[in-house]
Amino acid sequence: MGSLSINQVTKSFGDTEVLKGINIDVQNGEFIILVGPSGCGKSTLMNMIAGLESVTSGTLEMDGRDVTHVSPKDRDIAMVFQSYALYPTMNVARNISFGLEMRGVDKAERERVVADVAALLQIDHLLDRKPSQLSGGQRQRVAMGRALARSPEVFLFDEPLSNLDAKLRVEMRTEIKKLHKRLGTTIVYVTHDQIEAMTLADRIAVMKDGILQQLGTPAEIYDDPANQFVAGFMGSPPMNFIRVDTCDGGDIEVEIGGQTHRLTLPCSPGIAASNQREVILGIRPEMITQPKPENTQGIAASMDFDVIEPMGADTMAIGEWNGQTLMARLSPEAGQCAGANTAIQLDISKCVAFDTANGDRIR
Amino acid sequence: MTNSSFTWQRGLIYTILLAFAALYLVPLYVMLTTSLKDIEEIRQGNLLALPDNPTLYAWTKAWSSACTGSECEGLAPFFWNSVRIVVPAVVISTIVGALNGYALAKWRFRGSEMLFGALLFGCFIPFQVILLPMARLLATLGLANTVTGLVLVHVIYGVAFTTLFFRNFYVSVPTELVKAAQLDGAGFFAIFRHIFLPISLPIFTVTLIWQFTQIWNDFLFGVVYSGPGTQPITVALNNLVNTSMGGKEYNVDMAAAIIAALPTLVIYVLAGKYFVRGLTAGAVKG
Ligand SMILES: Nc1ncnc2c1ncn2[C@@H]1O[C@H](COP(=O)(O)OP(=O)(O)OP(=O)(O)O)[C@@H](O)[C@H]1O
Ligand SMILES: [Mg+2]
Repeated sequence: MGSLSINQVTKSFGDTEVLKGINIDVQNGEFIILVGPSGCGKSTLMNMIAGLESVTSGTLEMDGRDVTHVSPKDRDIAMVFQSYALYPTMNVARNISFGLEMRGVDKAERERVVADVAALLQIDHLLDRKPSQLSGGQRQRVAMGRALARSPEVFLFDEPLSNLDAKLRVEMRTEIKKLHKRLGTTIVYVTHDQIEAMTLADRIAVMKDGILQQLGTPAEIYDDPANQFVAGFMGSPPMNFIRVDTCDGGDIEVEIGGQTHRLTLPCSPGIAASNQREVILGIRPEMITQPKPENTQGIAASMDFDVIEPMGADTMAIGEWNGQTLMARLSPEAGQCAGANTAIQLDISKCVAFDTANGDRIR
Repeated sequence: MTNSSFTWQRGLIYTILLAFAALYLVPLYVMLTTSLKDIEEIRQGNLLALPDNPTLYAWTKAWSSACTGSECEGLAPFFWNSVRIVVPAVVISTIVGALNGYALAKWRFRGSEMLFGALLFGCFIPFQVILLPMARLLATLGLANTVTGLVLVHVIYGVAFTTLFFRNFYVSVPTELVKAAQLDGAGFFAIFRHIFLPISLPIFTVTLIWQFTQIWNDFLFGVVYSGPGTQPITVALNNLVNTSMGGKEYNVDMAAAIIAALPTLVIYVLAGKYFVRGLTAGAVKG
């Protein structure tokens, strides 16, 4: 029930290859999030899963059944479109029940489902309105309702919250999470929002230029990125990338605040094996903090900060390593007195290194 | 200063507009008054004068007893011929155009762009070019000189326009509506019926008016492809005006011309509001 297997799927529009061999196995009940820069083929992949776009090569399976050439209505998939795509001439109730109507469900049953769904999404009082008479958030809920009414095997959500204001988005995010807990239906979800991706996903699929870069749990994507693209894409503010020299034994050397530090990273053996003279060091802002006495593994250093950006809970401070810009994440108090020659502490247990030529991870 | 020059310009604009309106309305006025005069009064030559003794003589004659060639039954039989041609031709070409436009706008298939290009080209083919081939076709089909044949000609010729209208209107409907409906289990016709048809009133009005006017006013196809019993009113009007028994009866000619033009006028008045709205909503966009 509700498992989905995408095997070596490609898609070309004329001569342009938009998807270049995607492989994703989605377990029943899993919440998969697709992320990637604009134009990387996320919507195209969703449309192909739904059957709205033909597959150029490769196969799609649902519950072990090959559905590559099955028509959309026989796939038991419901989709929430980015633009909602509500039927403009039908009222909310009919929008929600249209799918049931087309599938020959009788009227009494349809009314029961509409009432259930409307209660769940708190749109009972809107059932007689036309989509044009609804606010953005209400429309969004109707679009969700239309998908929910059919209780399909798989839900596809294409940036469903992108048109909402920040507050409503947080609310709806929680609603979707609850809904998934309650229904346990498989969900494939596209978003540009980092927080949505990290909080909702069982696994995240990061795509770029029609190629799947990495598929893993949010923690794997965040702490163990497959390459420099994934490392830079997830996380906000993004990971710092500093070009550094390597030494014998795989250590790296970096100049911080006028002093050269020699650091032994978790991946130093890998660096040694790769024989590179230079690598790209990846270090997240939160690994560069004010001194924390409780962390005995931390490495003490000091550096100059030119720009301080208070963000409320944290303060971002911008300085340079090896002459390259870098961001640190300080506590608000530490941030207030940060400036020239500020004491910092490095946590290098999660530092990563990438090949300078192709951005591949060096392990 | 600016204010007074503004009103001065306003005045000029209105004067010009009124002049043009008069220019367009004067012929109609002359037709109407002439049709209500008797022949004596017309001979006096006061073209712009109101009729002294208004009479419907010319109207009854034009409708039921004026001579259109050898027979003298007025325009009535031909009026009904036109109705029998126009109604099915308009209905069929509009329905076919709606389905074509819907398919071309939302169901792209191999060669659909080319098909659309070809249809567009069809809009620019002058009537004269297809006269002979069409005559051959009608003869082959056994439809020469029949109402069915004329309906067929008008449908074929009209479909290019109606398709264009509907296609341009439907192109602006978001494709995601179609996708959503497909996922909801609706097929080609169900999507048309439940989603496209309910929003199509403006474009249906435009197409109905356009097709009605085109086909009702058509003379060339009517004169070429009709037989003695199937001539449309435009052809009969021409014959009526050109058949002179004794003196020329201008009042009858005028009444006949108005009768021939009346249906299109009525359609414009009834649906004109939607026509303008529909043109801007559909035909211009896309
Ligand atoms: N019908 C089409 N014909 C030709 N190219 C297309 C078509 N649809 C999409 N593309 C191209 O395919 C690529 C992927 O498009 P897609 O809509 O899947 O991107 P996306 O990842 O969803 O982007 P976004 O985040 O902006 O929504 C784009 O470069 C786009 O131009
Ligand atoms: Mg998209």
